[in-house]
Amino acid sequence: MNLLQALAYFFREALVGLLRSWRVSALAVLTITVSLFLAGSFLLTSGNLARAIASWKQDARLTVYLADGVDAAARDRIAERLAAAPWVEEVAFVPAAEGAARFRSAFPSLAELVEDARYGSLPDSLEVRQRELTSTELAAHRGWIAEIGRLPGVETVDDDREWIAGVATLLVVVRALGSLLTGVLLGAAIFTIAAVVRLTSFLYRDEIAIMRLVGATEFFIRGPFYVEGLLQGLAGGVAAVAALRAVHFALSSRVAESLVLRLVARDFLATGEVAALVAIGAAAGLGGALASLGREQAASERG
Amino acid sequence: MIRFFDIAKRYPSGQVALEGVSLAIEKGELCFLTGGSGAGKTTLLRLIFREETPTAGQILVNGRNVAALPRGKVPYLRRSIGVVFQDFRLIDRKTVFENVAYLPRILGLDATKQRRIAYEALRRVGLAHRMAAFPWQLSGGEQQRVAIARALVNDPEILIADEPTGNLDPDLSREIVRLFLDIHRRGTTVIFATHDRQLIERVGHRALVLARGRLVEDRRLPVGSFDAGLTPAVGAGDDA
Repeated sequence: MNLLQALAYFFREALVGLLRSWRVSALAVLTITVSLFLAGSFLLTSGNLARAIASWKQDARLTVYLADGVDAAARDRIAERLAAAPWVEEVAFVPAAEGAARFRSAFPSLAELVEDARYGSLPDSLEVRQRELTSTELAAHRGWIAEIGRLPGVETVDDDREWIAGVATLLVVVRALGSLLTGVLLGAAIFTIAAVVRLTSFLYRDEIAIMRLVGATEFFIRGPFYVEGLLQGLAGGVAAVAALRAVHFALSSRVAESLVLRLVARDFLATGEVAALVAIGAAAGLGGALASLGREQAASERG
Repeated sequence: MIRFFDIAKRYPSGQVALEGVSLAIEKGELCFLTGGSGAGKTTLLRLIFREETPTAGQILVNGRNVAALPRGKVPYLRRSIGVVFQDFRLIDRKTVFENVAYLPRILGLDATKQRRIAYEALRRVGLAHRMAAFPWQLSGGEQQRVAIARALVNDPEILIADEPTGNLDPDLSREIVRLFLDIHRRGTTVIFATHDRQLIERVGHRALVLARGRLVEDRRLPVGSFDAGLTPAVGAGDDA
Protein backbone atom coordinates (compact mmCIF):
# COMPACT_ATOMS: atom_id res chain seq x y z
CA MET A 1 0.00 0.00 0.00
CA ASN A 2 1.48 3.34 -0.96
CA LEU A 3 1.41 6.36 1.31
CA LEU A 4 -1.57 8.00 -0.42
CA GLN A 5 -3.65 4.84 -0.19
CA ALA A 6 -2.61 4.46 3.45
CA LEU A 7 -3.58 8.06 4.25
CA ALA A 8 -6.95 7.65 2.55
CA TYR A 9 -7.50 4.50 4.61
CA PHE A 10 -6.40 6.25 7.83
CA PHE A 11 -8.79 9.17 7.26
CA ARG A 12 -11.71 6.89 6.41
CA GLU A 13 -11.15 4.72 9.47
CA ALA A 14 -10.56 7.78 11.69
CA LEU A 15 -13.87 9.31 10.61
CA VAL A 16 -15.65 6.02 11.32
CA GLY A 17 -13.99 5.97 14.76
CA LEU A 18 -14.99 9.57 15.48
CA LEU A 19 -18.58 8.89 14.51
CA ARG A 20 -18.64 5.67 16.50
CA SER A 21 -17.66 7.46 19.71
CA TRP A 22 -18.97 10.91 18.79
CA ARG A 23 -19.87 11.98 22.31
CA VAL A 24 -16.39 11.59 23.75
CA SER A 25 -14.90 12.94 20.53
CA ALA A 26 -17.08 16.05 20.90
CA LEU A 27 -15.87 16.42 24.48
CA ALA A 28 -12.25 16.25 23.32
CA VAL A 29 -12.91 18.83 20.60
CA LEU A 30 -14.67 21.08 23.11
CA THR A 31 -11.77 20.88 25.56
CA ILE A 32 -9.27 21.85 22.93
CA THR A 33 -11.62 24.58 21.65
CA VAL A 34 -11.87 26.14 25.12
CA SER A 35 -8.13 26.06 25.71
CA LEU A 36 -7.30 27.47 22.27
CA PHE A 37 -10.05 30.09 22.57
CA LEU A 38 -8.42 31.25 25.77
CA ALA A 39 -4.97 31.15 24.16
CA GLY A 40 -6.34 33.10 21.20
CA SER A 41 -7.96 35.66 23.49
CA PHE A 42 -4.68 36.30 25.26
CA LEU A 43 -2.87 36.42 21.94
CA LEU A 44 -5.38 38.91 20.56
CA THR A 45 -5.33 41.07 23.69
CA SER A 46 -1.58 41.10 24.07
CA GLY A 47 -1.06 41.62 20.33
CA ASN A 48 -3.30 44.69 20.30
CA LEU A 49 -1.74 45.97 23.48
CA ALA A 50 1.76 45.45 22.07
CA ARG A 51 0.83 47.32 18.89
CA ALA A 52 -0.65 50.15 20.96
CA ILE A 53 2.52 50.34 23.06
CA ALA A 54 4.70 50.37 19.94
CA SER A 55 2.60 53.17 18.50
CA TRP A 56 2.71 55.11 21.77
CA LYS A 57 6.45 54.66 21.96
CA GLN A 58 6.76 56.12 18.50
CA ASP A 59 4.66 59.13 19.50
CA ALA A 60 5.99 59.37 23.03
CA ARG A 61 6.63 62.93 24.13
CA LEU A 62 7.99 64.64 27.17
CA THR A 63 5.50 67.38 28.02
CA VAL A 64 6.63 70.31 30.10
CA TYR A 65 3.55 72.11 31.42
CA LEU A 66 4.21 75.77 32.01
CA ALA A 67 3.00 77.71 34.99
CA ASP A 68 0.33 80.34 34.49
CA GLY A 69 1.67 83.70 33.44
CA VAL A 70 4.98 82.52 31.95
CA ASP A 71 5.93 85.04 29.28
CA ALA A 72 7.42 84.27 25.88
CA ALA A 73 11.00 85.07 26.95
CA ALA A 74 10.86 82.69 29.91
CA ARG A 75 9.23 80.06 27.72
CA ASP A 76 12.07 80.41 25.16
CA ARG A 77 14.70 80.03 27.88
CA ILE A 78 13.08 76.83 29.04
CA ALA A 79 12.86 75.61 25.45
CA GLU A 80 16.57 76.37 24.89
CA ARG A 81 17.46 74.50 28.04
CA LEU A 82 15.45 71.53 26.86
CA ALA A 83 16.97 71.55 23.38
CA ALA A 84 20.47 71.46 24.83
CA ALA A 85 20.01 67.88 26.06
CA PRO A 86 21.68 65.31 23.75
CA TRP A 87 18.54 63.12 23.48
CA VAL A 88 16.18 65.93 22.52
CA GLU A 89 15.33 66.07 18.83
CA GLU A 90 12.65 68.72 18.75
CA VAL A 91 10.91 71.14 21.08
CA ALA A 92 7.52 72.60 20.13
CA PHE A 93 5.23 75.04 21.90
CA VAL A 94 1.66 73.79 22.35
CA PRO A 95 -0.84 76.47 23.39
CA ALA A 96 -3.45 75.45 25.98
CA ALA A 97 -6.30 75.46 23.43
CA GLU A 98 -4.43 73.08 21.11
CA GLY A 99 -3.57 70.79 24.04
CA ALA A 100 -7.25 70.61 25.00
CA ALA A 101 -8.27 69.88 21.39
CA ARG A 102 -5.72 67.07 21.17
CA PHE A 103 -7.01 65.56 24.41
CA ARG A 104 -10.61 65.63 23.18
CA SER A 105 -9.57 63.97 19.94
CA ALA A 106 -7.54 61.23 21.66
CA PHE A 107 -10.04 60.49 24.44
CA PRO A 108 -13.54 61.42 23.25
CA SER A 109 -15.15 59.65 26.19
CA LEU A 110 -13.16 61.81 28.61
CA ALA A 111 -13.67 65.05 26.67
CA GLU A 112 -15.77 66.65 29.37
CA LEU A 113 -12.80 66.59 31.75
CA VAL A 114 -11.04 69.41 29.91
CA GLU A 115 -14.19 71.47 29.94
CA ASP A 116 -15.03 70.82 33.58
CA ALA A 117 -14.05 73.83 35.68
CA ARG A 118 -13.46 71.63 38.73
CA TYR A 119 -10.40 70.10 37.06
CA GLY A 120 -9.06 73.40 35.72
CA SER A 121 -8.01 74.02 32.12
CA LEU A 122 -4.91 72.59 30.48
CA PRO A 123 -1.91 74.98 30.66
CA ASP A 124 0.41 75.95 27.81
CA SER A 125 3.13 73.38 27.33
CA LEU A 126 6.36 72.53 25.57
CA GLU A 127 6.32 69.22 23.81
CA VAL A 128 9.69 67.49 23.51
CA ARG A 129 10.42 64.71 21.04
CA GLN A 130 13.31 62.53 22.20
CA ARG A 131 15.34 59.84 20.57
CA GLU A 132 15.58 56.34 22.05
CA LEU A 133 17.77 56.38 25.13
CA THR A 134 20.73 54.08 25.61
CA SER A 135 20.93 52.17 28.87
CA THR A 136 23.83 54.34 30.05
CA GLU A 137 21.72 57.47 29.57
CA LEU A 138 18.79 56.38 31.73
CA ALA A 139 20.12 57.66 35.04
CA ALA A 140 21.21 60.98 33.53
CA HIS A 141 17.81 61.31 31.86
CA ARG A 142 16.00 60.84 35.17
CA GLY A 143 18.20 63.55 36.75
CA TRP A 144 17.56 65.83 33.80
CA ILE A 145 13.77 65.48 34.15
CA ALA A 146 14.04 66.37 37.84
CA GLU A 147 16.13 69.41 36.94
CA ILE A 148 13.59 70.55 34.33
CA GLY A 149 10.82 70.17 36.90
CA ARG A 150 12.65 72.60 39.18
CA LEU A 151 13.13 75.30 36.55
CA PRO A 152 11.27 78.56 37.22
CA GLY A 153 8.08 78.72 35.14
CA VAL A 154 7.69 74.94 34.93
CA GLU A 155 4.54 73.59 36.55
CA THR A 156 5.12 69.90 35.98
CA VAL A 157 6.92 67.47 33.66
CA ASP A 158 5.13 64.50 32.21
CA ASP A 159 7.19 61.84 30.42
CA ASP A 160 5.00 59.49 28.36
CA ARG A 161 7.71 56.83 28.59
CA GLU A 162 6.99 56.32 32.28
CA TRP A 163 3.38 55.26 31.89
CA ILE A 164 4.18 53.38 28.68
CA ALA A 165 6.69 51.37 30.71
CA GLY A 166 3.90 50.66 33.20
CA VAL A 167 1.58 49.39 30.45
CA ALA A 168 4.45 47.32 29.00
CA THR A 169 4.84 45.66 32.40
CA LEU A 170 1.10 44.92 32.34
CA LEU A 171 1.58 43.37 28.91
CA VAL A 172 4.31 41.08 30.26
CA VAL A 173 1.96 40.02 33.07
CA VAL A 174 -0.91 39.38 30.61
CA ARG A 175 1.37 37.30 28.40
CA ALA A 176 2.73 35.29 31.32
CA LEU A 177 -0.76 34.66 32.67
CA GLY A 178 -2.00 33.73 29.21
CA SER A 179 0.88 31.33 28.64
CA LEU A 180 0.33 29.70 32.03
CA LEU A 181 -3.42 29.25 31.63
CA THR A 182 -3.06 28.13 28.02
CA GLY A 183 -0.40 25.63 29.04
CA VAL A 184 -2.61 24.18 31.76
CA LEU A 185 -5.66 23.99 29.50
CA LEU A 186 -3.67 22.56 26.58
CA GLY A 187 -2.32 19.93 28.96
CA ALA A 188 -5.89 19.10 29.92
CA ALA A 189 -6.87 18.98 26.24
CA ILE A 190 -4.00 16.62 25.40
CA PHE A 191 -4.99 14.45 28.34
CA THR A 192 -8.63 14.38 27.14
CA ILE A 193 -7.65 13.50 23.59
CA ALA A 194 -5.32 10.79 24.89
CA ALA A 195 -8.22 9.38 26.91
CA VAL A 196 -10.54 9.51 23.89
CA VAL A 197 -8.02 7.79 21.63
CA ARG A 198 -7.39 5.19 24.32
CA LEU A 199 -11.12 4.62 24.63
CA THR A 200 -11.49 4.27 20.86
CA SER A 201 -8.56 1.89 20.68
CA PHE A 202 -10.20 -0.04 23.53
CA LEU A 203 -13.44 -0.22 21.55
CA TYR A 204 -11.43 -1.56 18.64
CA ARG A 205 -9.19 -3.83 20.68
CA ASP A 206 -10.59 -7.01 19.10
CA GLU A 207 -10.11 -5.58 15.63
CA ILE A 208 -6.60 -4.47 16.49
CA ALA A 209 -5.79 -7.99 17.69
CA ILE A 210 -7.15 -9.37 14.40
CA MET A 211 -5.17 -6.83 12.38
CA ARG A 212 -1.98 -7.87 14.19
CA LEU A 213 -2.87 -11.49 13.64
CA VAL A 214 -3.17 -11.18 9.88
CA GLY A 215 0.10 -9.28 9.61
CA ALA A 216 -0.78 -5.59 9.67
CA THR A 217 2.16 -3.40 10.65
CA GLU A 218 1.93 -1.12 13.69
CA PHE A 219 2.01 1.89 11.35
CA PHE A 220 -1.07 0.59 9.58
CA ILE A 221 -2.86 -0.25 12.83
CA ARG A 222 -2.07 3.02 14.58
CA GLY A 223 -2.43 5.35 11.59
CA PRO A 224 -6.21 5.81 11.97
CA PHE A 225 -5.81 6.63 15.67
CA TYR A 226 -3.12 9.23 14.96
CA VAL A 227 -5.38 10.78 12.32
CA GLU A 228 -8.29 10.67 14.77
CA GLY A 229 -6.32 12.69 17.33
CA LEU A 230 -5.11 15.04 14.60
CA LEU A 231 -8.67 15.64 13.35
CA GLN A 232 -9.96 16.28 16.87
CA GLY A 233 -7.18 18.81 17.44
CA LEU A 234 -7.76 20.45 14.05
CA ALA A 235 -11.50 20.68 14.70
CA GLY A 236 -10.81 22.20 18.12
CA GLY A 237 -8.40 24.73 16.60
CA VAL A 238 -10.80 25.74 13.83
CA ALA A 239 -13.72 25.98 16.28
CA ALA A 240 -11.64 28.14 18.64
CA VAL A 241 -10.67 30.52 15.82
CA ALA A 242 -14.29 30.68 14.63
CA ALA A 243 -15.55 31.43 18.15
CA LEU A 244 -12.86 34.06 18.61
CA ARG A 245 -13.78 35.64 15.26
CA ALA A 246 -17.45 35.71 16.23
CA VAL A 247 -16.72 37.35 19.58
CA HIS A 248 -14.38 39.86 17.96
CA PHE A 249 -16.99 40.65 15.33
CA ALA A 250 -19.63 41.18 18.03
CA LEU A 251 -17.31 43.56 19.90
CA SER A 252 -16.06 45.41 16.82
CA SER A 253 -19.06 47.76 16.75
CA ARG A 254 -18.18 48.96 20.25
CA VAL A 255 -14.46 49.44 19.66
CA ALA A 256 -14.84 53.08 18.62
CA GLU A 257 -16.57 54.10 21.83
CA SER A 258 -14.55 52.05 24.34
CA LEU A 259 -10.98 52.95 25.17
CA VAL A 260 -10.32 49.53 26.70
CA LEU A 261 -11.67 47.67 23.66
CA ARG A 262 -9.65 49.90 21.38
CA LEU A 263 -6.57 48.98 23.34
CA VAL A 264 -7.08 45.22 23.51
CA ALA A 265 -9.40 44.23 20.66
CA ARG A 266 -8.98 46.63 17.79
CA ASP A 267 -7.49 44.16 15.30
CA PHE A 268 -8.16 40.45 14.88
CA LEU A 269 -5.34 37.90 14.88
CA ALA A 270 -2.93 37.91 11.96
CA THR A 271 -3.17 35.03 9.47
CA GLY A 272 0.02 33.52 10.87
CA GLU A 273 -1.42 33.58 14.40
CA VAL A 274 -4.65 31.93 13.22
CA ALA A 275 -2.60 29.24 11.45
CA ALA A 276 -0.48 28.80 14.58
CA LEU A 277 -3.59 28.29 16.77
CA VAL A 278 -4.98 25.66 14.40
CA ALA A 279 -1.55 24.02 14.14
CA ILE A 280 -1.22 23.95 17.94
CA GLY A 281 -4.65 22.25 18.09
CA ALA A 282 -3.58 19.66 15.54
CA ALA A 283 -0.27 19.10 17.32
CA ALA A 284 -2.05 18.71 20.68
CA GLY A 285 -4.42 16.16 19.12
CA LEU A 286 -1.57 14.23 17.57
CA GLY A 287 0.38 14.47 20.82
CA GLY A 288 -2.58 13.03 22.73
CA ALA A 289 -2.85 10.13 20.28
CA LEU A 290 0.91 9.48 20.44
CA ALA A 291 0.86 9.50 24.23
CA SER A 292 -2.13 7.20 24.37
CA LEU A 293 -0.87 4.70 21.80
CA GLY A 294 2.62 4.76 23.29
CA ARG A 295 1.08 3.47 26.52
CA GLU A 296 -1.01 0.94 24.59
CA GLN A 297 2.12 -0.34 22.81
CA ALA A 298 4.03 -0.59 26.09
CA ALA A 299 1.10 -2.53 27.56
CA SER A 300 0.87 -4.86 24.55
CA GLU A 301 4.63 -5.51 24.69
CA ARG A 302 4.37 -6.35 28.40
CA GLY A 303 1.28 -8.48 27.79
CA MET B 1 9.46 -26.11 7.87
CA ILE B 2 8.80 -25.74 11.61
CA ARG B 3 11.40 -26.73 14.23
CA PHE B 4 11.11 -26.48 18.01
CA PHE B 5 14.35 -26.91 19.97
CA ASP B 6 13.85 -27.62 23.65
CA ILE B 7 11.13 -24.99 24.01
CA ALA B 8 9.90 -23.83 27.39
CA LYS B 9 7.25 -21.26 28.12
CA ARG B 10 6.70 -20.16 31.68
CA TYR B 11 4.44 -17.28 32.62
CA PRO B 12 5.39 -14.68 35.25
CA SER B 13 2.75 -16.19 37.54
CA GLY B 14 4.92 -19.31 37.66
CA GLN B 15 2.58 -21.38 35.48
CA VAL B 16 4.48 -23.70 33.14
CA ALA B 17 2.75 -23.85 29.74
CA LEU B 18 5.45 -25.80 27.87
CA GLU B 19 8.60 -27.57 28.97
CA GLY B 20 11.33 -29.22 26.90
CA VAL B 21 9.32 -29.41 23.67
CA SER B 22 11.31 -30.39 20.58
CA LEU B 23 9.63 -31.27 17.31
CA ALA B 24 9.86 -30.90 13.56
CA ILE B 25 6.99 -30.45 11.12
CA GLU B 26 7.87 -30.82 7.46
CA LYS B 27 6.47 -28.87 4.54
CA GLY B 28 3.10 -30.19 3.40
CA GLU B 29 2.39 -32.21 6.53
CA LEU B 30 -1.00 -32.47 8.22
CA CYS B 31 -0.39 -32.55 11.91
CA PHE B 32 -2.93 -32.82 14.70
CA LEU B 33 -2.08 -31.35 18.06
CA THR B 34 -4.04 -32.80 20.91
CA GLY B 35 -4.13 -33.03 24.67
CA GLY B 36 -6.38 -32.06 27.55
CA SER B 37 -7.30 -28.55 28.58
CA GLY B 38 -4.21 -26.66 29.74
CA ALA B 39 -1.87 -29.12 28.02
CA GLY B 40 -0.20 -26.28 26.10
CA LYS B 41 -1.73 -26.66 22.63
CA THR B 42 -2.70 -23.02 22.20
CA THR B 43 0.61 -21.80 23.61
CA LEU B 44 2.51 -23.99 21.17
CA LEU B 45 0.51 -22.62 18.24
CA ARG B 46 0.90 -19.02 19.45
CA LEU B 47 4.66 -19.49 19.58
CA ILE B 48 4.69 -20.36 15.86
CA PHE B 49 3.18 -17.04 14.77
CA ARG B 50 4.98 -15.09 17.51
CA GLU B 51 1.93 -14.23 19.55
CA GLU B 52 4.09 -15.52 22.39
CA THR B 53 7.85 -15.80 22.80
CA PRO B 54 9.48 -18.79 24.45
CA THR B 55 11.16 -18.51 27.82
CA ALA B 56 13.85 -20.93 26.62
CA GLY B 57 14.78 -22.68 23.39
CA GLN B 58 14.60 -21.74 19.72
CA ILE B 59 11.87 -21.92 17.10
CA LEU B 60 12.56 -21.93 13.39
CA VAL B 61 9.75 -21.27 10.93
CA ASN B 62 10.86 -21.46 7.32
CA GLY B 63 14.44 -21.00 8.52
CA ARG B 64 13.60 -17.86 10.51
CA ASN B 65 14.38 -17.76 14.20
CA VAL B 66 10.96 -16.67 15.36
CA ALA B 67 11.91 -16.01 18.98
CA ALA B 68 14.65 -13.60 17.94
CA LEU B 69 12.59 -11.90 15.24
CA PRO B 70 12.57 -8.10 15.68
CA ARG B 71 9.12 -6.76 16.53
CA GLY B 72 8.93 -4.90 13.22
CA LYS B 73 9.39 -8.15 11.25
CA VAL B 74 6.61 -10.04 13.01
CA PRO B 75 3.85 -8.82 10.62
CA TYR B 76 5.81 -10.25 7.69
CA LEU B 77 6.07 -13.64 9.43
CA ARG B 78 2.33 -13.61 10.08
CA ARG B 79 1.54 -12.89 6.46
CA SER B 80 3.03 -16.29 5.61
CA ILE B 81 0.93 -18.09 8.23
CA GLY B 82 -2.84 -18.41 8.16
CA VAL B 83 -4.50 -18.73 11.55
CA VAL B 84 -8.01 -19.93 12.35
CA PHE B 85 -9.51 -19.83 15.85
CA GLN B 86 -12.38 -21.52 17.57
CA ASP B 87 -14.12 -18.15 18.03
CA PHE B 88 -13.66 -17.09 14.37
CA ARG B 89 -12.34 -13.60 15.22
CA LEU B 90 -14.02 -11.72 12.42
CA ILE B 91 -14.53 -7.96 12.36
CA ASP B 92 -18.27 -7.56 12.84
CA ARG B 93 -18.58 -4.10 11.30
CA LYS B 94 -16.90 -5.22 8.09
CA THR B 95 -18.51 -7.36 5.41
CA VAL B 96 -17.37 -10.87 4.62
CA PHE B 97 -15.50 -9.50 1.63
CA GLU B 98 -13.79 -6.77 3.69
CA ASN B 99 -12.77 -9.29 6.33
CA VAL B 100 -11.19 -11.54 3.74
CA ALA B 101 -9.71 -8.72 1.66
CA TYR B 102 -8.05 -7.07 4.67
CA LEU B 103 -4.62 -8.58 4.09
CA PRO B 104 -4.57 -7.96 0.30
CA ARG B 105 -5.58 -4.41 1.12
CA ILE B 106 -2.73 -3.77 3.56
CA LEU B 107 -0.36 -5.39 1.08
CA GLY B 108 -1.33 -2.57 -1.28
CA LEU B 109 -2.85 -4.69 -4.02
CA ASP B 110 -5.08 -2.78 -6.39
CA ALA B 111 -8.84 -3.03 -5.89
CA THR B 112 -9.37 -5.42 -8.80
CA LYS B 113 -6.73 -7.81 -7.53
CA GLN B 114 -8.09 -7.55 -3.97
CA ARG B 115 -11.53 -8.49 -5.24
CA ARG B 116 -10.19 -11.33 -7.33
CA ILE B 117 -8.17 -13.05 -4.63
CA ALA B 118 -10.77 -12.45 -1.91
CA TYR B 119 -13.40 -13.90 -4.22
CA GLU B 120 -11.15 -16.89 -4.96
CA ALA B 121 -10.57 -17.54 -1.23
CA LEU B 122 -14.31 -17.28 -0.52
CA ARG B 123 -15.10 -19.53 -3.46
CA ARG B 124 -12.77 -22.16 -2.02
CA VAL B 125 -14.78 -22.21 1.19
CA GLY B 126 -18.13 -22.02 -0.58
CA LEU B 127 -19.10 -18.52 0.45
CA ALA B 128 -18.55 -16.41 -2.65
CA HIS B 129 -22.28 -15.69 -2.70
CA ARG B 130 -22.19 -14.16 0.83
CA MET B 131 -19.50 -11.56 0.15
CA ALA B 132 -21.76 -8.62 1.01
CA ALA B 133 -23.08 -10.12 4.24
CA PHE B 134 -21.83 -9.16 7.68
CA PRO B 135 -20.43 -11.85 9.99
CA TRP B 136 -23.38 -11.56 12.38
CA GLN B 137 -25.70 -12.47 9.51
CA LEU B 138 -23.95 -15.83 9.06
CA SER B 139 -24.22 -19.17 10.86
CA GLY B 140 -21.32 -20.41 13.00
CA GLY B 141 -20.14 -22.75 10.25
CA GLU B 142 -20.26 -19.97 7.68
CA GLN B 143 -18.35 -17.63 9.99
CA GLN B 144 -15.67 -20.25 10.44
CA ARG B 145 -15.44 -20.69 6.68
CA VAL B 146 -14.97 -16.91 6.33
CA ALA B 147 -12.16 -17.14 8.90
CA ILE B 148 -10.60 -19.93 6.85
CA ALA B 149 -10.94 -17.87 3.67
CA ARG B 150 -9.19 -14.99 5.44
CA ALA B 151 -6.41 -17.35 6.52
CA LEU B 152 -6.04 -18.64 2.96
CA VAL B 153 -6.24 -15.36 1.11
CA ASN B 154 -2.50 -14.80 0.98
CA ASP B 155 -1.87 -18.42 0.01
CA PRO B 156 0.07 -19.17 3.22
CA GLU B 157 2.60 -21.96 3.47
CA ILE B 158 1.35 -22.82 6.96
CA LEU B 159 -2.22 -22.96 8.18
CA ILE B 160 -2.75 -23.08 11.94
CA ALA B 161 -6.14 -23.99 13.36
CA ASP B 162 -6.81 -23.75 17.09
CA GLU B 163 -9.82 -25.97 17.75
CA PRO B 164 -11.68 -24.60 14.73
CA THR B 165 -14.61 -26.98 15.22
CA GLY B 166 -14.94 -26.39 18.96
CA ASN B 167 -18.00 -24.15 18.59
CA LEU B 168 -19.69 -26.09 15.80
CA ASP B 169 -22.18 -28.94 15.70
CA PRO B 170 -20.99 -32.34 14.30
CA ASP B 171 -22.28 -31.75 10.74
CA LEU B 172 -20.66 -28.33 10.48
CA SER B 173 -17.49 -29.71 12.08
CA ARG B 174 -17.23 -32.41 9.39
CA GLU B 175 -17.66 -29.75 6.73
CA ILE B 176 -14.86 -27.64 8.23
CA VAL B 177 -12.53 -30.63 8.62
CA ARG B 178 -13.10 -31.55 4.97
CA LEU B 179 -12.14 -28.02 4.06
CA PHE B 180 -8.86 -28.32 5.97
CA LEU B 181 -8.14 -31.67 4.32
CA ASP B 182 -8.76 -30.12 0.93
CA ILE B 183 -6.39 -27.27 1.80
CA HIS B 184 -3.78 -29.80 2.92
CA ARG B 185 -4.15 -31.80 -0.30
CA ARG B 186 -3.20 -28.65 -2.19
CA GLY B 187 0.17 -28.63 -0.43
CA THR B 188 -0.33 -26.37 2.58
CA THR B 189 1.21 -27.42 5.90
CA VAL B 190 -1.71 -27.70 8.33
CA ILE B 191 -1.45 -27.80 12.12
CA PHE B 192 -4.81 -28.55 13.66
CA ALA B 193 -5.35 -28.44 17.42
CA THR B 194 -8.31 -30.48 18.65
CA HIS B 195 -9.63 -32.41 21.65
CA ASP B 196 -11.34 -34.87 19.36
CA ARG B 197 -9.29 -38.11 19.42
CA GLN B 198 -11.85 -39.86 17.18
CA LEU B 199 -11.40 -37.24 14.52
CA ILE B 200 -7.64 -37.76 14.63
CA GLU B 201 -8.04 -41.55 14.27
CA ARG B 202 -10.42 -41.13 11.33
CA VAL B 203 -8.28 -38.61 9.49
CA GLY B 204 -4.84 -40.03 10.28
CA HIS B 205 -1.52 -38.45 9.15
CA ARG B 206 0.27 -37.36 12.36
CA ALA B 207 -0.66 -36.68 15.97
CA LEU B 208 1.34 -34.72 18.51
CA VAL B 209 0.07 -35.26 22.04
CA LEU B 210 0.76 -32.76 24.79
CA ALA B 211 0.25 -33.33 28.49
CA ARG B 212 1.02 -30.72 31.14
CA GLY B 213 3.20 -28.78 28.74
CA ARG B 214 5.30 -31.75 27.59
CA LEU B 215 5.21 -33.50 24.24
CA VAL B 216 4.39 -37.03 25.35
CA GLU B 217 3.62 -38.67 22.02
CA ASP B 218 4.43 -38.12 18.36
CA ARG B 219 2.59 -40.74 16.25
CA ARG B 220 2.41 -41.31 12.51
CA LEU B 221 -1.05 -42.56 11.64
CA PRO B 222 -2.41 -44.23 8.53
CA VAL B 223 -4.58 -42.00 6.40
CA GLY B 224 -8.06 -42.78 7.64
CA SER B 225 -11.54 -43.13 6.22
CA PHE B 226 -12.42 -39.49 6.67
CA ASP B 227 -9.86 -38.43 4.11
CA ALA B 228 -10.66 -41.34 1.82
CA GLY B 229 -14.28 -40.32 1.57
CA LEU B 230 -13.43 -36.69 0.94
CA THR B 231 -15.83 -34.96 -1.37
CA PRO B 232 -14.69 -32.16 -3.66
CA ALA B 233 -14.11 -28.73 -2.13
CA VAL B 234 -17.08 -27.34 -0.26
CA GLY B 235 -17.25 -24.33 -2.50
CA ALA B 236 -17.59 -26.26 -5.73
CA GLY B 237 -21.16 -25.05 -6.14
CA ASP B 238 -20.18 -21.38 -5.89
CA ASP B 239 -18.91 -21.11 -9.41
CA ALA B 240 -22.43 -20.87 -10.68
